[in-house]
Amino acid sequence: MPRFSGRDYDRRMMTAMAVYVVVFLTVWPLARSAAAPLMKITYALTPVLPLLYVIWLMAQRILRSDELEQRTHLIGIGVAAVVASIVSIVAGFLAAANVMTLQDTSVVLVWIFPLMMIAYGIARTRAARRYGSSGACDDEDRMPVYLRFLGASAIFSFIAAIVYLRTGEEEIAAMMLGMAAALGSVAAFFGIRRWRRRSSPSE
Amino acid sequence: MNNHLRHLREQRAWSQGDLAERLDVSRQTVNAIETSKYDPSLPLAFKIARLFRQSIESIFEPGKD
Repeated sequence: MPRFSGRDYDRRMMTAMAVYVVVFLTVWPLARSAAAPLMKITYALTPVLPLLYVIWLMAQRILRSDELEQRTHLIGIGVAAVVASIVSIVAGFLAAANVMTLQDTSVVLVWIFPLMMIAYGIARTRAARRYGSSGACDDEDRMPVYLRFLGASAIFSFIAAIVYLRTGEEEIAAMMLGMAAALGSVAAFFGIRRWRRRSSPSE
Repeated sequence: MNNHLRHLREQRAWSQGDLAERLDVSRQTVNAIETSKYDPSLPLAFKIARLFRQSIESIFEPGKD
């Protein structure tokens, strides 16, 4: 199986995320007004399709990686699984004890996937650094990692603005804005780190 | 485990990227092997030995521990 080039992977990932944004903004809102339960479920779950493609894309990338990359992927996935397990079991116990409302629990559920991705990225980068890489996310043939996070942050900000302006749904807009802020913080972290490394070449 | 991969690569005037392409691995993996931060699997070690037309033990030697 040929290795994925960084550019090819980025191009496919961005296309999938663009489709996700379009579907989320155009199809998902129809779920609330749909009368038939089947249509309601279909509209509500349509945004999951591009995300499934993203997961498949990530699996393909790992399958086509070399042995050292697969090892760092495995470390990243392991850490992400631990983080997701802890967060979901804590939320589950709180919800079962009625400490958290159903609305709070749904917010936690939506956050688990991004949280897993962040934990995976950080753990994999740290693991790759142990093997002498400057950071698994900063492959030479790929877009700089801070720009990728910045792009994702911009997408979530855009969604938040559209949701708020079109539907007035403050909770969903605030949740999207929260995701945008988290991704923006990660982008700032990687951006500052990159800038510091470039300004001190002896390091 | 120590190895002579860097020396062999430089003898042929290959960059780490050139060697990575020949071995079908990433440049980071070549760098990790050259700096002894990562010991390759047996199939990759055989691939390296075949590429340089040498035996595995002439390229890789056990470390102190």
